[in-house]
Amino acid sequence: MDKQKQPYFVKGFGDVHWGVVACVIGLAIFGIVMIYSASSYNAEKNFGSSMYFVNKQIVGLVLGLCVFAFCYFFNYSLLQKLMYPALALGLIVLVLVLIPGVGIELYGARRWIGIGGFSFQASEIAKFCFIIFASGYMSKYKERMQTFWGSMPVLLCGGVFCCLIMLEPNMSITICMGVLMLTMLLIGGMRIKHFGLMSIPMIAAVPVLILIEPYRMQRLMAFLDPWANPQGEGFQLIQSLYALGNGGWFGVGLFNSRQKYSFLPFSESDFIFSIVGEELGFFGCLILLGVFIALIVFGYKIAMRAKDRLGCYLAVGVSTIIAVQVLLNVAVVTGAVPPTGLPLPFISAGGTSLIMFMAGAGVLLNIHKQSKLATRLVNDNSNANWLILPNTTVKSQKTSLPKS
Amino acid sequence: MKIIKYTTQNLQKRLLCVLTIVAFVFLFVIGKLMYVQLIQGTMLQSRAISQWTRDLPLSGLRGSIVDTNGDTLASSFTSYNIYLRASNIVDAETVANLLAEILGIDYQSILQKATDKSVSERLLAQQVSGELVERILASDLDGVYIAETSTRRYPYGDLLTSVLGYTTIDNIGQSGIEAYYDNYLQGTDGYAMTESTITGVELSNSTTTFVSGIQGCTVQLTIDVGIQQILEGVLDRAMEEQQAKGATGIIMDATNGEILAMATKPSFDLNNIPRDDIETLLNYSKNTTVVDIYEPGSTFKVFTTAAALSSGVTNIDDTFYDPGYRIISGERIKCWRTQGHGHETLLEGFCNSCNSVFMDLGLRMGTEVFYQYLQKFGIGQKTGIDFYGESAGIVMDASMVRDVDLARIAFGQAIAVTPLQMLNSVCGIVNGTRYQPRLIKSITSANGTTKEFGSVIVGSTVSNSVRDTINQMLEAVVSTTGECTFVAGYHVGGKTGTAQKYEDGRVATGKYVSSFIGTYPASAPKYVMLICVDEPSAGIYYGSQVAKPYGGMIFKQMFDYLSIAPDVEMAEITADIEVPNLVGLSITQAGALLRSIKLDYVIIGEGEVVLTQAVPAGTKVFAETIIQLFTE
Repeated sequence: MDKQKQPYFVKGFGDVHWGVVACVIGLAIFGIVMIYSASSYNAEKNFGSSMYFVNKQIVGLVLGLCVFAFCYFFNYSLLQKLMYPALALGLIVLVLVLIPGVGIELYGARRWIGIGGFSFQASEIAKFCFIIFASGYMSKYKERMQTFWGSMPVLLCGGVFCCLIMLEPNMSITICMGVLMLTMLLIGGMRIKHFGLMSIPMIAAVPVLILIEPYRMQRLMAFLDPWANPQGEGFQLIQSLYALGNGGWFGVGLFNSRQKYSFLPFSESDFIFSIVGEELGFFGCLILLGVFIALIVFGYKIAMRAKDRLGCYLAVGVSTIIAVQVLLNVAVVTGAVPPTGLPLPFISAGGTSLIMFMAGAGVLLNIHKQSKLATRLVNDNSNANWLILPNTTVKSQKTSLPKS
Repeated sequence: MKIIKYTTQNLQKRLLCVLTIVAFVFLFVIGKLMYVQLIQGTMLQSRAISQWTRDLPLSGLRGSIVDTNGDTLASSFTSYNIYLRASNIVDAETVANLLAEILGIDYQSILQKATDKSVSERLLAQQVSGELVERILASDLDGVYIAETSTRRYPYGDLLTSVLGYTTIDNIGQSGIEAYYDNYLQGTDGYAMTESTITGVELSNSTTTFVSGIQGCTVQLTIDVGIQQILEGVLDRAMEEQQAKGATGIIMDATNGEILAMATKPSFDLNNIPRDDIETLLNYSKNTTVVDIYEPGSTFKVFTTAAALSSGVTNIDDTFYDPGYRIISGERIKCWRTQGHGHETLLEGFCNSCNSVFMDLGLRMGTEVFYQYLQKFGIGQKTGIDFYGESAGIVMDASMVRDVDLARIAFGQAIAVTPLQMLNSVCGIVNGTRYQPRLIKSITSANGTTKEFGSVIVGSTVSNSVRDTINQMLEAVVSTTGECTFVAGYHVGGKTGTAQKYEDGRVATGKYVSSFIGTYPASAPKYVMLICVDEPSAGIYYGSQVAKPYGGMIFKQMFDYLSIAPDVEMAEITADIEVPNLVGLSITQAGALLRSIKLDYVIIGEGEVVLTQAVPAGTKVFAETIIQLFTE
């Protein structure tokens, strides 16, 4: 075992992936502009200040930038040691949120934890906890992942997370969580045979989950024909479609949305993409989605070039969760899948979400930075004395593996 | 267990696989976005516009209805509806207080409407006058909205009720002219469209679009209010004096089909429509002259005569003998005068209204010929008047007509017509040409374009000689002496009729429809009237007594109104004949006595001695007044 002490931070300001930085900061600032446009009327009406949501988001952005910078320096390799604490943290927040008094109930679901005057969404944190745990476990027990039982801990923990999020209830984050888990297991080297075997009960779970909560069935019906009940279940989707339809090719112009005048519920959070579509049109949406695609591609590229499996898995996890949430969100607002509340990463109003995604993006930067450094080390054999080369790490772990 | 190595190459393959899946899902989502924004866009936009705006209607006033001289019969004026938008009301109690005081509506009900935010807008009061609205506007209340609407007024109130008809409170024509010409009368509503939020709150930067309403067309009728008032005044009097269930009357211009007056009594004030009493509303608003049918009785003999003269089966000097009945196919059909009219010419038979004469004429013609003429005269057909709900009448199918039926039809039984059909067919004969009756004279739109409605000829009816003969006979009916005594100084023609009423297919005892047809000028009639008194119950029921005198009154007043100079200069005729005491005299003695002082009489009963007389001895009456004599 290599007992070399790992540093907490990776020094130096170099090797910044400017593409990721530009995408993240661009998206976050664009988000604030859109939140202002979408929420100023409702905020004025309901909270007495047109800047209510904007101010909260600016606080989130400032904190997010700090976390972003921190993660750029923070040595991600240490996350492997934090995998069990991360798992514990994820479980704790998900259990805490279910306890009345701790969890704040809004719109019929218990999704927020309030501490003092601050509240955060438990599942937003849990998602990233799971990424840390899964990446850590799968990179540490790389060989074990080849066995069915060896991959079970990831699957089980993912399953428990899903179930806990389901209890809030929050169907959409559960789906995100599930897709994230599957992707990570696939990338983590789970054998295709096992992967297929495990997918069967998960697919079977979907109709069961729909049947135990009647409101999901209604939403499903509303999705199939929103016009059947335009004042009821179909209302939100119809309003979203109105907004998008009103946008057309080039939109009605920034700040000129009509749907934001209390027609479209959650226009500043889960349905902010509809307002983007209305004000900036199909072209605006394409540019926004282009930025997301760029960010996701950068993420996967960083994963491919990561210096070790941990970095690779972490980058895959972060990129995947961004991709899944963007796709699911846009699919919901365009009526491609049944309505479900899910924030659009970096854009939707919501501090927790913004901070966590910026943290994830920071980790991407750090992975990139280290892979650059490692490449240089291999090439120059220079003075990066603390660096552990991928091969050595794997070898040292292999020896500690019990033979099965 | 064999350990399969998961190499970096494997990992990269899987990563590419994931990336490919992500790319495909992105393509799918972008495709869907494109479909919604670009293909469905226009449809979604048009649907969305309706929810983005609140529009208050600005009513286009309903058009007026005027008479032939331009006198207003119905018109609309602007009034206001008051709406509350709870979401815009700042101080509901003040609003409720003020409105309760101004409008006289219960405070609690206003407060409830002013605080109920479940609907964006509520109607508080309708048809509020401009004066009150000004007071409301002066108070400058938030959340109180005023929208223009209109109120319908009928300056003459209870006049021409069943013809004009009425509208709903929302100004939609429900019956009569209001319904028939509703499309023209309806104004085109404008609106004030304001951009607003979902709860109806106006956007601060919103613009309000005003599109003002357009007033409906003015519908001018052929009705002459002056004549209508005369007709209704006399009908009211007839109803009261004869204690009748109802009375109807129509006055038409035979030379062009224009209806000058048309009335159904009883009726109601159009400004105070009994909307809560549906039965009264429906009964009293029905234009029975067009909708209802009746058995015409003796007035129908005009058609039998015209047909018989035209077909050549008789002539004016033809002679008949009436023993008081005819036996047809073994059935004894009585004349109205059971003792019979004896020997008489066609003219005398017409004047006596002797059933036997007309039975002969009917049988001489036969069903086929008689029916041909009736068809030509318009019997059993809708006249085509511009009015909803017209009946065609009932004419027995030709193949079903036996001789007894034919004989009955010939004197006006076993056949049913509407009063309008009756009158229109008479017009056709006395004029030689039949027109389609109509109420419409012209329609003028708000921008001044006028469409005039001319007369519509249906066809010719009889030859000029037959027409002249009929007119001559009609004049003879009302003034046997030819001295213009019926309506002093004027050559008037006429024919009376008395028909039994049927209820559930059987003759209803004691229930009659007494009618009178009048024509003026008798030689070439222009003004033709029909009045029917329904179920007179003051003791007498013959058309000659119940309906004819009122026909005379109408003509007299009409001539004054129309400033028609008398045809013959006559001294003012006054009621200067004193009715003698006839009780105890024999019928022959009484008849001779009355005839000697130029009075007419009818005998009611089968006896030979006068028991009572309808007009008490000593009463002063006009010449030719009919005195009823009651016998055993």
